[in-house]
Amino acid sequence: MALRFALIAACLALASPGYAQDRIQVVTTTTDLRSLTEAVGGERVAAVSLVPANMDAEDYQPKPQDVLRLKNARILVRVGLDYDLWIDRLLAQSGKPDISRGGPGYVDASFAIAVLELRGMSVGPGDGHAHGSGNPHYWLDPKNAEIITGTILEALARIDPANAASYEANRLAFLARLRAKLAEWEAILAPLKGMPIVAYHNSWPYFARRFRLDFVAFIETKPGVPPSPSHLAGILQTMHARGIRIVVREPHEPERDVAFVASKAGASIVTLAASVGALPQAGDYISLFDADVDALRSAAGAR
Amino acid sequence: MIEPLVFLWPSFLAAVCLVGIHAYFGIQVLARKVIFVDLALAQIAALGATVAFMLGHPAQSPATYGYSLAFTLLAAVLLAFTRAWGTRVPQEALIGVIYVVAAAAAILLIDRAPQGAEHLKQILTGNILTSGLNDVAIIVPLYAAVGLLHWLLRRRLTGTEPLIWDFVFYASFGVVVTSSVAIAGVLLVFSFLIIPAAIGVMFASSLARQLAIGWIVGTFTSAAGVAASFAFDLPTGAAMVCSFGAALAVAGLLYPVLRGNRQSALCVAIATARWIAAAILAGSAFQLAAAPRADQPLIDIVEYVVPSLRTLYLTRTEETTFVDASEYAERYHREAEQLNDFEKRNRTEGKALDDYSVARISSFLKSYGEMRKGEQFVMGEVRARARERIRWGVSLGLLASALLFAPVSWRQLWARAPR
Repeated sequence: MALRFALIAACLALASPGYAQDRIQVVTTTTDLRSLTEAVGGERVAAVSLVPANMDAEDYQPKPQDVLRLKNARILVRVGLDYDLWIDRLLAQSGKPDISRGGPGYVDASFAIAVLELRGMSVGPGDGHAHGSGNPHYWLDPKNAEIITGTILEALARIDPANAASYEANRLAFLARLRAKLAEWEAILAPLKGMPIVAYHNSWPYFARRFRLDFVAFIETKPGVPPSPSHLAGILQTMHARGIRIVVREPHEPERDVAFVASKAGASIVTLAASVGALPQAGDYISLFDADVDALRSAAGAR
Repeated sequence: MIEPLVFLWPSFLAAVCLVGIHAYFGIQVLARKVIFVDLALAQIAALGATVAFMLGHPAQSPATYGYSLAFTLLAAVLLAFTRAWGTRVPQEALIGVIYVVAAAAAILLIDRAPQGAEHLKQILTGNILTSGLNDVAIIVPLYAAVGLLHWLLRRRLTGTEPLIWDFVFYASFGVVVTSSVAIAGVLLVFSFLIIPAAIGVMFASSLARQLAIGWIVGTFTSAAGVAASFAFDLPTGAAMVCSFGAALAVAGLLYPVLRGNRQSALCVAIATARWIAAAILAGSAFQLAAAPRADQPLIDIVEYVVPSLRTLYLTRTEETTFVDASEYAERYHREAEQLNDFEKRNRTEGKALDDYSVARISSFLKSYGEMRKGEQFVMGEVRARARERIRWGVSLGLLASALLFAPVSWRQLWARAPR
């Protein structure tokens, strides 16, 4: 009996396509990290993101399948900075020390990133984040992709040393493409330098620093708390005083509140993707910036 | 110069319209004992909208509204029949089940249609602050039509006629709730529905008087809530819900004075207040004695109001350490904020900082955060040790004052004890 099962198992193993076995299973918390992992890993890596595109990763509710995905994974890549805290409990449940904190397959992508807007334990006034670890949206600076892919490369080389050279080559090719693109984006957004912008959520400090944009105010002061009348009045006053014409909204953010502010101030709404897949045209890391840069340019040009 | 009042008055106007129709429905709902029916209908409407999203219709399109309405009408049929079923199981229980299942089903569907998540959240919180005159222009004719229909059918919609009239009631209520929840959110709509009606029912017996009281109370309470949200810089919807809660509490306190025996009401009120005070004092005494290092809510509040009270139990050295630490913590906080401001300005002004300088700023910020945490730890430790030292004396004092407050006649107990 046992022999028969072993035979069946062997036949099944032989029948399954070879490459699916060879590919290194990587789980990332967000689609941005999946895209960057694919850029480094290329064909040798099968990356899957736990948070679907177009969903707010900060309050994601894990599903039973996610534990299964972690069980099969050899590398886990997370955003860190208290952005995806829910992964910690999921990791504890999966019971895999290899991809848990301190394990060889655990990648905190915020490693070595210069974090902006650190405020210690206190929550700064009106910055919209309930955590003191600094602003977690660091992947929105394309330059930070160099650091993130470096951290991912290290982990891949640890897990699969035989192919380290090919990962390295993948990363360099990706970074070369990204650098060329960055120069392009910077040129497109150069006329927008210092242009004041209002956003719903404070996802943009890294983006703003790289492209020299001025995000003046945020509609949401604390996650999940609607703005108070005087906060909204303050924003509208700033918008009139500084002639702000652009209100930035992400696809998952409430349309009503943004439309209210925009119509009162005579501004136009620009929908930007803060994550890969949040907009249909933002399919991977590079097209994410393509889409956002394009949207900002046409909004600024339309005035 | 834009005053918040410019967009507060449309919200107030919307609130008055919503109170107008909901106070009436609230009286009906209280009479039929189907308190949570609005939650069930709102959730069903949201489920309909989620289904529409899943099928690819954009938000606020006629198709989405059509799905919401169709689901609401189906729910109205179901609700009309719950009266016939509710012989042994209370109708309210079935309504609760409809609510819970609709909410859960919507969450299951959201998995397939992520853009619905925001919609569901929006329905829960709503935002009356961003409602405008265009919302008012839609709801006024709608509510007027529903009101007129109910006035024409007033002999039929009593809740005891054949089930078809129940369907008319729930269907028209569903239409109202679907539109009002989209403007104000579930929490606020529930307050509009129940609280003015409850206060009206409390003080009057004819429908006209109940309605008049509900409308007056609802209008003034809405005004108070809007004013509080303006004055204290609070989210408008939540401030209004709390002001409605306060209105009900005030009405409840006034009821025995206006309607019942004033003397006994006063006695009960005083006894309740004394019991609460005694319980708080005794609880604080036990908390301080058992866990002096833990939070001491009563002592913390008193210290917050009168900071000099600390000097009573801190020694001179402890006092100096405490004040030093708090000054340093404040200083680190200020310096970190200055660095943050500098970095933020530099994003657009002057020559851009290179990545190395930004990394240095970032690591400075991290250090300031740690140092500040250290000083706060020192403050907490100094205070905890001092409280540990004084815990027995102060606990006994608190306990003694609790006994003084408790409305028990100690003399009688004392006299009875030796026997």
